[in-house]
Amino acid sequence: MSILKSWKFWIGLIVVLLWARMPWFIRNNYQLQVLFRITLFAALGLAWNLVGGYAGQLSLGHVAFFGVGAYGLALFTEIGIPIWISVFLAAVVATIFAAVIGAIAFRLRGPYFTLSTIAFAEVLRLTATNLNVTGGAIGLTMPSLFVGRTFWRSFYLASVALTVVAFLANYWASRSRFGYYLMAIREDEDTASAVGINTALCKLQALLMSAFLTALAGALYGSAFQFIVPDSILTLEISVQIAIITMLGGAGTLLGPIVGAVLLLTASEAFKNQFRESHLLIYGILIVVVVLFLPEGIVGGLQHRFRRRIRPPADANPKPALGGAAQ
Amino acid sequence: MVRFFQACADGLLTGALYALIGMGLALIFGVMRIVNFAHGAFLMVGMYATYVLFDYFKLNPYIGFLPAGLVLFIFGYVVYLLLIRPVRDRSHFMQILMTTGIGLILTDSAQLIFKADYRQTNIDLINRSVHIGPFGANAAEVLSFAIAVAFVVGLHFFVTRSLTGQALRAISQSPEVAPLMGINLTRIQGFSFALGIALAGVAGGLLLPRLYLFPGVGEDYTTKAFVMVVLGGMGSIEGAALGGLVLGLSESLTSLYVGNQWALIVDFVLFLLVLSFKPSGIFGRQRA
Repeated sequence: MSILKSWKFWIGLIVVLLWARMPWFIRNNYQLQVLFRITLFAALGLAWNLVGGYAGQLSLGHVAFFGVGAYGLALFTEIGIPIWISVFLAAVVATIFAAVIGAIAFRLRGPYFTLSTIAFAEVLRLTATNLNVTGGAIGLTMPSLFVGRTFWRSFYLASVALTVVAFLANYWASRSRFGYYLMAIREDEDTASAVGINTALCKLQALLMSAFLTALAGALYGSAFQFIVPDSILTLEISVQIAIITMLGGAGTLLGPIVGAVLLLTASEAFKNQFRESHLLIYGILIVVVVLFLPEGIVGGLQHRFRRRIRPPADANPKPALGGAAQ
Repeated sequence: MVRFFQACADGLLTGALYALIGMGLALIFGVMRIVNFAHGAFLMVGMYATYVLFDYFKLNPYIGFLPAGLVLFIFGYVVYLLLIRPVRDRSHFMQILMTTGIGLILTDSAQLIFKADYRQTNIDLINRSVHIGPFGANAAEVLSFAIAVAFVVGLHFFVTRSLTGQALRAISQSPEVAPLMGINLTRIQGFSFALGIALAGVAGGLLLPRLYLFPGVGEDYTTKAFVMVVLGGMGSIEGAALGGLVLGLSESLTSLYVGNQWALIVDFVLFLLVLSFKPSGIFGRQRA
């Protein structure tokens, strides 16, 4: 078992265990709720990272999968399906949505792709607002995945579990042949296609994984907050939030989405008391700062610096590195 | 049948304003290849500028839209220099993020300054109507239609006839070669970005008397502007104007036959259909 010899594995395990132990140190429900959201958005950022980071496709429609996860859970339990099976079914439905969206959107590139992902998400939001079965603009009450005194603790632990799964998916993507295909597509789609990569299929696979994880997060989120309306669970705002969390931390890096979620949600929580409804201002400012000064994100920038400091002498004939977070 | 033609007339009245918004976005896209995700937010700023003029100086919005447009022009130029020019040669990914960020900053700054209250301008004109045969229309809508048409026609002649317009088209055809012909890239790009923003501001000023004003009012217009521009063929200014009219018509007819709340969905479905089957737009010529 070579994995047991890697110090990174042990550090990761310790971090996860400490992270999961947090509720035993914190008794305050509000703080637990904030921690839950941080962890959940880390999972969302990691899920988005597969498409937006490794494959370099700027999707601003991920809220569609998030919303389908939440609505799916509510609607499936309503017709009598057991709650945990409903979660799974909702994620499957979101994945089917992703297949449809991907089949159309991935034929487009650059701004056209981004625009079409927004359009799909908006169609879903407006449909949910206008249909009776989804409760229209009034919304739906969500079934509770957990009940009782340990309510927030259980939700929190579920979000940690989801983050670990999403992290492993990213880990796999960063090391496997599939992941290298994605990175090749990000760097130059035409070249990737010319060397025999089925770019359409690879991008679609990444989106399907991403959508499945995003839908699970959506179901968890909806259930934790007990009530959903289209304008809270299907808004463009959430898509932007997920994207900027990943970009801030470093798109296409393993730790980036986690770092981004911790920083951004803590900051926005602090600003919420200060600015009330204008707490998204901090998102806007951060986006501008990241684009202008930190295009590789925090983790991406650090990695770049460290690699440069350690590696150069080892290779007398430096080859241009594949991947990286270069644009 | 009267209802059908009435709906068409209503659609065209709105469509002319849409055309103004769409042309601004198309101008920016054509010259810079940047999709301005903050377009609706700029429109909202134009509305607030017109509103402030109305509130403090009692300036009628149908006059106030002009100074508001001017303010937006200057504002747009500054935003170009500070935020857009640095990402001029970066990936689409970064450009989209940048304009999204600008949009968030604008919307939430408005929220901070003006709060989330709904505001309204009460002017006399909005309560009058014009009748031609069996058809009736709001006098304010007819006036804003006329102004919008004047702007659309003016812009068309500006782009096709003037020297600056030629420079602008040269850059949109070939951003690499145009600067070699002695065209100042930064100045022309800054000018067209500012002009596009000013058009959004003018449209905002003209829309003000008809709508409730709140910081998020522009959001739908960003997406609507995309739809028009895609309908007309990305980057084609005249196409975007036609796209605006089509959108106005389709919304008005959807409201009549299906229901008001489905109008925006029809917009998006139209958009996705055009993107998947005829990405060059229904009026567009094939572009590289």
